[in-house]
Amino acid sequence: MSQLNNALTLFFSLMVEAIPFLLIGVVFSSALLLFVDERKLVAAMPRSPLLGALAGSLVGFLFPVCECGNVPVARRLIVQGAPASVAIGFLLAAPTVNPIVFWATWTAFRDQPEIVFLRIGFSLLIATIVGWVFSAQADLRPLLQPTVAQSMSAPQGRLGRRSRRKPVQSTEPASELLQSGTFLLNSSGQPMRMEAVGMQAALAASSITTKPLGDRLQMMLDNVVQELRELGGVLILGSAIAATVQVAIPREVILSLGQGPITSILAMMLLAWVVSICSTVDSFFALSFASTFTSGSLLAFLVFGPMVDVKNIGLLLSVFRTRAIVYLFALAAQLTFLLTLIVNLYVS
Amino acid sequence: MAWQFILATCSRYSGDRTWGVLLLKYWLTGKINVLLHPNYMWLANVAGFVLLALSLLKSVQLLQIVTQRSARTYFRSLPTMQHFSLFPPGWSSALLLAVAVFGLQFTPQPFASEVALNRGVTDTLAMTRSQPQSFRSTTSPEERSLIDWIRTLDVYPEPDAYTGQQASVEGFVIHPPELPDNYLMISRFVITCCAADTYPVGLPVKLEGSRSTYPPDIWLRVKGSMITETLNGQRQLTIQASQLEEIEEPENPYEY
Repeated sequence: MSQLNNALTLFFSLMVEAIPFLLIGVVFSSALLLFVDERKLVAAMPRSPLLGALAGSLVGFLFPVCECGNVPVARRLIVQGAPASVAIGFLLAAPTVNPIVFWATWTAFRDQPEIVFLRIGFSLLIATIVGWVFSAQADLRPLLQPTVAQSMSAPQGRLGRRSRRKPVQSTEPASELLQSGTFLLNSSGQPMRMEAVGMQAALAASSITTKPLGDRLQMMLDNVVQELRELGGVLILGSAIAATVQVAIPREVILSLGQGPITSILAMMLLAWVVSICSTVDSFFALSFASTFTSGSLLAFLVFGPMVDVKNIGLLLSVFRTRAIVYLFALAAQLTFLLTLIVNLYVS
Repeated sequence: MAWQFILATCSRYSGDRTWGVLLLKYWLTGKINVLLHPNYMWLANVAGFVLLALSLLKSVQLLQIVTQRSARTYFRSLPTMQHFSLFPPGWSSALLLAVAVFGLQFTPQPFASEVALNRGVTDTLAMTRSQPQSFRSTTSPEERSLIDWIRTLDVYPEPDAYTGQQASVEGFVIHPPELPDNYLMISRFVITCCAADTYPVGLPVKLEGSRSTYPPDIWLRVKGSMITETLNGQRQLTIQASQLEEIEEPENPYEY
């Protein structure tokens, strides 16, 4: 009985600590999705593949979105002509390399500042490398879903010229959702959106920064509420898993798994993939393993988790073909493993 | 149609609202002490207010719409809602609501000796743990709290250096199985962020008789003098108890 009580106390403490950060993340991502015009951003990106990948990774500082918000943004970047290196760099790094995640990680690991900085550094490094590798593919289209590929008219490259062209409307079903939203608005002249009608899908298809301010605020509110609800559900599952693992699995088992330099990394990477917890709050999850797992494995969780997780696959499949996703994951996983193993063996 | 509409409104936003209520309840009942480090309590409190405000805002909007348009149009628009998500539509809200309602019934309990034993009580702060924020070497020994003693030991670990100093510390009782029957462990949990990262620290206390007089989890004020004992082949700073007094469990069970 007291076991259950402890697990529940743990669970609610994780929730209470994580909810404020989830709230901040959702509000920021909704605001910036609606108020930043990424077409201008795409035009400003450097053309060199390596610099492009680095710049793309750093864009997260302008779009503090967690991994649930970044796939739609990456898709818009691709559709609007961003080079592969920029889009992939953004996709992998944005959920981690942003001020809100930095703050949350700092809150959780203020006693181990190296974890906070290595987390950001490794994410940046991996995202840049993978973005660079992907830039070898000059024309992204064979790797994209047909619907997304169709909406891009020309091969990548001449960024300056492409950016002046009007963005091409996506022909996928998502744009119908956008139309249904417009219908609601037009029919009575007042903002009648009660829910985000295919919000992210609609956002993926077109830029929203041209709409009137009132509509945008309304959409922002809708997006906040909807994302909060969905990510809150995921947070509950994640916290429940963390609390259960801590209380139910005997300490000896966790210690033997968590102290091995290799097993601990593999275990935490697997956990990161399964748990799918949002990057703004995953540091609190990792914190509950801080006393029993190696620093390298905690880093592996914090770096790899935001890049790939179960819920992300569904999102990524809306942009990339399976083959591309496998490449992405394999590269990111190997790099994470390598870097965190170095931490385990030589640093800590 | 209106009642149906209000029902839909309530169920839709009650998840957010109930979490807001729950966060504020933890604050008002002081139970937030059991869950969080005081540095982060304001975050939870603000989040509680924001969640309440959000759900109120949405509800007001929906009710305005009821008065303006027929609910039928609203319900017709519902099936078009689509969002990339892990859950089928509505599940996430239901889960949030259910957990928050449960949270309102459930009273979080501070951890006790069982957890401490499971996590391993030490008289050292692990390397990865909170470094002393302020270290006052001038504190006279009998004014040191348990955590002050642990921090002092952390800086200068030789137990003989403290022999004969007076101690007066408060904490809860643990009966570590590896210690003989006339020893108990007086301990506190230290918290860095939230209950998930609490870890126990403690010092062995040497008693005159059996420890069964002081069952696990009761809170004691232990007065005595410091000695060095060899326990499990390790020389350890130990309190030779001269006076043990049972005290109330403090409202805030953690040390920082």
